[in-house]
Amino acid sequence: MSDREAILGRVRRHARHAAAHPGPHPVPALPGGFDAFAARLRQVGGEALGPWPEDGLGRRVAERARACAGAGGRIVGAPTATAWLGPGPWETAGADASPSSFEDVAVAVLLGSAGAAECAAVAVEASLALHRALPFLCRHLMLLLPVPAIAPDLHTAQARLGAGALAHPAWTWVSGPSKTADIEQTLVYGAHGPLSLDVVCVG
Amino acid sequence: MSQALDRRAARLLPDDAHVARHDAAVFDLRRRRDAAAAEVPDWEALRERAAALKRHTLDHLDVHLERFESRAVAAGAVVHWARDAAAHNDVVAGLLAEHGATRVVKSKSMLTEECGLNAHLAGRGVEVVDTDLGERIVQLGHEPPSHIIVPAIHRTRGEIGALFHRTMGAPAGEEDPERLTRLARRDLRTRFLAADAAITGANFAVAETGSIVIVTNEGNADLGTAIAPLHIACLGIEKLVPALADLPVFLRLLARSATGQPLSAYTSLFTGPRPGGALHLVLVDNGRSELLGDARHRDALACIRCGACLNTCPVYRRAGGHAYGRPVPGPIGAVLAPAIGATREDRALPQASSLCGSCTAVCPVKIDLHEQLLAWRRERPNRGRAESLALAAAAAVMARPRLYRIAGRALARVWPLLARRWPGNPAAPWLRARELPLHPGPSFTERYAAAREEPR
Repeated sequence: MSDREAILGRVRRHARHAAAHPGPHPVPALPGGFDAFAARLRQVGGEALGPWPEDGLGRRVAERARACAGAGGRIVGAPTATAWLGPGPWETAGADASPSSFEDVAVAVLLGSAGAAECAAVAVEASLALHRALPFLCRHLMLLLPVPAIAPDLHTAQARLGAGALAHPAWTWVSGPSKTADIEQTLVYGAHGPLSLDVVCVG
Repeated sequence: MSQALDRRAARLLPDDAHVARHDAAVFDLRRRRDAAAAEVPDWEALRERAAALKRHTLDHLDVHLERFESRAVAAGAVVHWARDAAAHNDVVAGLLAEHGATRVVKSKSMLTEECGLNAHLAGRGVEVVDTDLGERIVQLGHEPPSHIIVPAIHRTRGEIGALFHRTMGAPAGEEDPERLTRLARRDLRTRFLAADAAITGANFAVAETGSIVIVTNEGNADLGTAIAPLHIACLGIEKLVPALADLPVFLRLLARSATGQPLSAYTSLFTGPRPGGALHLVLVDNGRSELLGDARHRDALACIRCGACLNTCPVYRRAGGHAYGRPVPGPIGAVLAPAIGATREDRALPQASSLCGSCTAVCPVKIDLHEQLLAWRRERPNRGRAESLALAAAAAVMARPRLYRIAGRALARVWPLLARRWPGNPAAPWLRARELPLHPGPSFTERYAAAREEPR
């Protein structure tokens, strides 16, 4: 008997088929909007910029990116982000670039699809990221997020990704920069991924 | 039985200073969890919902497993089934061999610990690098993790610095956590970029879409799977949740319960392989389907591996994870061990509890942990001959009032002897860390009799 048959056979025998699905969780009203999101993001080690209007967005993001990248630091933008921002100090590498070509990227600029204020999370869809490794190899990550996309809670935020999730094979909720407290519970940013995170709120 | 636990605890935390440090470090996670939970107005409702979702999922696990498999396959993943640890190890080793993969990066997976995967692969010429910083520390130190979320919580910065000096070229005497982390970051970067396979666990598996969810603070799972062409995800069959819409219930509970964060830094959902890559999912049983048939204990399968019960347990905090001798220690480890463990020591783990119930109070999916420990004690008393004889003798004495009074008077005489340390003293385990209380003097019966004889 295959492992599959053995396992499913035992599970079928023991599954009681009794308890019904409890249904959707009734979410309480939680604080939303830019202020709630920004406060929470600061708590988890990130920084919320803005809200900035679309007009002049490219200039402001460029200024911040240059400051974070430092002299000679590489700034790479995903095409979906740079299309929004217009020309700037960012490279738009080809989609077939190898991960190691991003190894020395100082600042990566990507688009966020949705936000949840209660946990300062921004959904980054892999398909919009140029390369899945880019948001994790860069030293500083900048995510562009329209303010209307910020929901108060994670349930609402995820529901907005809804149909998109099935169409897009991978997403990541990003809540602050990469971190670890594995050495004597001392918080250190940039364990493997970016050392810092900006969420540029637009609108 | 719990003497083995005592011995292992003494090795890990050899003195009061180590015990106190470990206790404080672990309990700090409990405090953070409390602060985070207090900020969530629907915390108790969330726990209730999560418990109900898991009950439903386990009740219909066959349906959800088959749906998960068909959706995952439709999305381009390959699904494997493994009835036990050996089967799991064979599947993974086979996949790596098939793909010619010898350099593997692995993110944290308690299941792979349970199956002993690293040792199995090492014997087959595969280099496995654990990329979670805590896991890397214990890997370099040739020891198992002692906590499921913070694997090296039993190590001081000095010990880790010395380890990095020996293995990673850290300057001698380097102890600064930030500098040590930067060193590890540089070293592990090269391994990520050179890896030909990434092995991960999965925190959840979504039946509706055939997706897996992987949660980290470091981003190591994402980095590994984004670069290596082969991704192998290993998960227990109990990890299923029915639908995407159910995920936020668990996500809002998980990180808060584990470390007091509103959400972990990276919560990633993968459906099918990435472009140019291959995704293999290994569904592991290893005793879980059997546990599903145990009406009293099946709820333990709801566990989402947050570690909250470890952080609050006075036994875990003061004994450390290695004392349990299990990949998953603490209250949930003790509850699962008699079902998923094989050794007599494993089956005795439910004895090592004061039944304070703190674990049950913090469990995000409302497993009645301490009551399950008590139930195991009833079902599997696991007593040695000496203990059985002693209990039989005690029962015989307590059933005979005259014998009981004689025994009581004898004990009063012998009491001062018991309070001193001498080889063979039956009170020795108690005396290791405590003093014997003063004997209260005459028994209640004696005082009552004396009072009655006094003239009014």
